Amino acid sequence: MGKIVFAAAMSHVLDPDYYEAACGLTGRRTVEACMAEIRKLGDTFLGRRPDALIVVADDHLNAFSFNAVPAMCVRIGRHVDRMNQDEAESFDKALDGMPERYPLHEELANRILEDGLQAGFDLALSWEASIDHAFLSPVMTMHGSRPVTPLVPIWINCFVAPQPTPDRCFALGQHLARVVGRSPWNVGIIATGGLSHFPELSLPRVGETDTVFDRKLLHWLQSGEHEPLRALTTGEIHKTGEHEFLNWMVLIGAVTPAGADVRYFGELPRINMAAVEWRV
Amino acid sequence: MSRYAVNSLLYRLKKDRAFRERFNQDPEKALAGLDLTEEERAAFLARDMQRINALGGFLHLVMSVPGMAVHVTHPDNH
Repeated sequence: MGKIVFAAAMSHVLDPDYYEAACGLTGRRTVEACMAEIRKLGDTFLGRRPDALIVVADDHLNAFSFNAVPAMCVRIGRHVDRMNQDEAESFDKALDGMPERYPLHEELANRILEDGLQAGFDLALSWEASIDHAFLSPVMTMHGSRPVTPLVPIWINCFVAPQPTPDRCFALGQHLARVVGRSPWNVGIIATGGLSHFPELSLPRVGETDTVFDRKLLHWLQSGEHEPLRALTTGEIHKTGEHEFLNWMVLIGAVTPAGADVRYFGELPRINMAAVEWRV
Repeated sequence: MSRYAVNSLLYRLKKDRAFRERFNQDPEKALAGLDLTEEERAAFLARDMQRINALGGFLHLVMSVPGMAVHVTHPDNH
């Protein structure tokens, strides 16, 4: 019988140069402190001898263009490439120097997809979409120079309205837990992004965060109170800059009712950075 | 205002290097024939990402189109 052996969520631009450019030396020190905790999470994860790592993250209009924006999409196939962006700027530079290709856990991805369709989750699928920093910055920080665990990338549409609801993301996580439970594998799951930044996706508001809202979310995570999280609306999420918390909602559904431990929380003018581990 | 027109243009500027170079060399010619309002066209010709965002351009695109991206910085007061 399969098991979720590790669950964590974390910020996903893990690039000291990016945060030094945006926020000065405090930015560099903050992301380095967060990365140190994420490396420890990677040690914990790999120590549990996982067969696969589900990564729930969002696309920044890199993998999907305007020909289709899936609400939820499972990457299938045998391997996945990292996004290539010529003359990369800003957060896209976080991918610089990373390997080109990563293994996928094909059978787990197929089961998530096929069982999902049977269970009423009309998941999109992709054989070709590449993955950007939202996936690879945390994965590579966790693994360092060690071989990367076979991945199952799952995209949630966090940015292009209309997005899926927090409760629907939670339900997808419950589906993931059922699939893993029926499988023979030890599986880790991470959700990436956040916490509060870019409220209303408005350029003049870049630099604002909602720390009060972040602390409320973290309190509910620590105490395993998931009902108030399921009741969140996409409107609240947009207003507070918690768009990427939709990824976290998938993870929460997969591990509910487990409580969590906050491994790192640090405030920057740009974003509040976090790393959280669930007691699974 | 056409949110699609603005964003498909931003996306093309980010992902299509040849188009980006044509835009950099002769922006009016590169935009000719695109279904943009005059206001949208003027914002792109001015490379005004604040305005483009206000017209519906996605934040992550206006912050990452090579050569045009807005780099917002925050003073280090600590």
